[in-house]
Amino acid sequence: MEFLNYLGIGFSVALQPSNLFYCFIGVFIGTLVGVLPGIGPVGAMSLLLPTTFKITPEAAIIMLAGIYYGAMYGGSTTSILVNIPGEAASVVTCLDGYQMARQGRAGPALGIAAFGSFIAGTLSILGLMFLAPPLSKLALRFGPPEYFTLMILGLTILIYLAQGAMPKALIMAAFGLVLGLVGLDSINARPRFTFGKMELIDGVGLVPIVMGLFGISEVLLNIEQTVRREVLKTRLKGLLPTAKDWKDSTGPIARGSLLGFFLGILPGGGAVISSFISYAIEKRLSKHPERFGKGTIEGVAGPESANNAATGGAFIPLMTLGIPPNVIMAMLLGAFMIHGITPGPLMMKQNPGLFWGVIVSMYIGNIMLLILNLPLITIWVQVLRVPYKFLSPLILLLCLIGVYSVNNVVFDIYIMLIFGIMGYLMKKFGYEGAPLVLAFVLGPLMENNLRKSLIISQGDFSIFFVRPLAAASLILALFLLISPLIPGLGRKRRVIPKGEVS
Amino acid sequence: MKKRDIISSLFWMAMGLGVCYGGYDLGLGTFHDPGSGFMFFGVGIILIGLSLIILIRAIKERPAIGELKVLWTGIRWKQVITILLALLLYAYLFVPLGFILSTVLLLIFLFKAVEPQRWRWAILGAIISTFAAYGVFHVWLKSPLPKGFLGIG
Repeated sequence: MEFLNYLGIGFSVALQPSNLFYCFIGVFIGTLVGVLPGIGPVGAMSLLLPTTFKITPEAAIIMLAGIYYGAMYGGSTTSILVNIPGEAASVVTCLDGYQMARQGRAGPALGIAAFGSFIAGTLSILGLMFLAPPLSKLALRFGPPEYFTLMILGLTILIYLAQGAMPKALIMAAFGLVLGLVGLDSINARPRFTFGKMELIDGVGLVPIVMGLFGISEVLLNIEQTVRREVLKTRLKGLLPTAKDWKDSTGPIARGSLLGFFLGILPGGGAVISSFISYAIEKRLSKHPERFGKGTIEGVAGPESANNAATGGAFIPLMTLGIPPNVIMAMLLGAFMIHGITPGPLMMKQNPGLFWGVIVSMYIGNIMLLILNLPLITIWVQVLRVPYKFLSPLILLLCLIGVYSVNNVVFDIYIMLIFGIMGYLMKKFGYEGAPLVLAFVLGPLMENNLRKSLIISQGDFSIFFVRPLAAASLILALFLLISPLIPGLGRKRRVIPKGEVS
Repeated sequence: MKKRDIISSLFWMAMGLGVCYGGYDLGLGTFHDPGSGFMFFGVGIILIGLSLIILIRAIKERPAIGELKVLWTGIRWKQVITILLALLLYAYLFVPLGFILSTVLLLIFLFKAVEPQRWRWAILGAIISTFAAYGVFHVWLKSPLPKGFLGIG
């Protein structure tokens, strides 16, 4: 009964007209950035973060979450129609989705992507509802050593899954930690690494860093190439998949949902990885693996369900432990903090309206997305035809004003441009931005928990090894870090093809 | 990646040294009571160690011919630099010129620089976009934007 009670609270919050409005804005913008290449959900969320200062925390989180799962829907459209993924989690959809479109079956491909996403999104929200409360209760027993080691483990998994060489990902995380610690010392209020700049007393802002790394640098990388996008000129008809399509897709959707949800809980790009693994599983299970890559509907249904289910799973570590598992959740953590709310085990008790409201809004958002994506698909196809020469100046403009409007200081624009240049160079030199951002957000929390742990244990590091959970986390993290050195294991790490871990 | 890795590892090594020095300067404290610079110093050491790993690996790697040249052949890197300079100039002039004037000028430049378009479209597009952004951020979201010497906005 308690559960139904909470659900009631959730609906009463999510169904308020203003929250419905922000939910719609969120999923709408999410679909838009999913469709448009050159700006992803991370960039869009950081752009809109300043606009949430003046609305209620419920509305803010509902809108930002909508951008996240909305982008997963929109990303499939470009994969299927243009063979260019709108965001990294839709890369694998290109393989069979585009082939289906070329064979004149763009309609069912888009249809099954939307339905699969809807079913998977819904299932993962149910999973979130059932798993979050017991996990929160468990998390209440955690102390600083557990938090510190869990964050170490989270960062390590993200680094382990990052593209390219592991030392480079580790460097990014270390640099992110340093950036996160700039500003006043939380314990004795001493300014650290502020170089005498008043603007740095509160630390470097999350928004300028993220917009630089994921907004400006993307535009720069797009400008230097002269890629032409050809939208497949196909008439969209028969969006509803046939009975046979449904029969073929049921298994992939169910497996994709489960896989996506559980991989989503783990740190580091659950959506991206689960879509690839789902594709691999479906191919292996299929009676006709040779049809994969030539336009089979299972190759669209599985991965598209998996990447949507992962978005629900990703909320679990943030909502129950207060530890964001990926960059997008780090942005959400930032949004929570701005409104003076600390996500974690206590949130469900202290802010039940917010907690359950956000979860229920995701369910409503999924219905909105189904309506937005199926009947209105032709509008999104038109959006795809907007040439990049118009788009990139406008994205730059949005970044510039967006970052300025957070604190109304020009200093932030400079910070954003510096990180834009850095992000551009990082791409050229084989570094990835995700570990940096996550470490930046976790840095202050980690330092705080490390110092508290050492104060509790009076300087004895064994506190991290005598507590079972802390010890287990550290051992697992250590294993992941040294595993590339173990022959046979090291090679497998690179097999997972990825665009970005976000 | 040989040369690129050598360059980037040296950069991070310098960064690590700087962070270590800064951390030491702030005070390391003791294990019983870690000081303000404790974590900086530790992370700085890690940065130096990691950059050494990348450096050593890169030195062992066989050199690839024309590896650095790949970074700018076939791509429009001049455009990237021009646009970056324009953005920096925009940040510099944002407050003195005010939002509207500086943004219209920047957008006209960007519309011409990214891919040359007709003047008519560039100017019209810049004015429309600027006022749309002004409407959203200043009028709707009530974000204060600089008026500049003209006092508009």
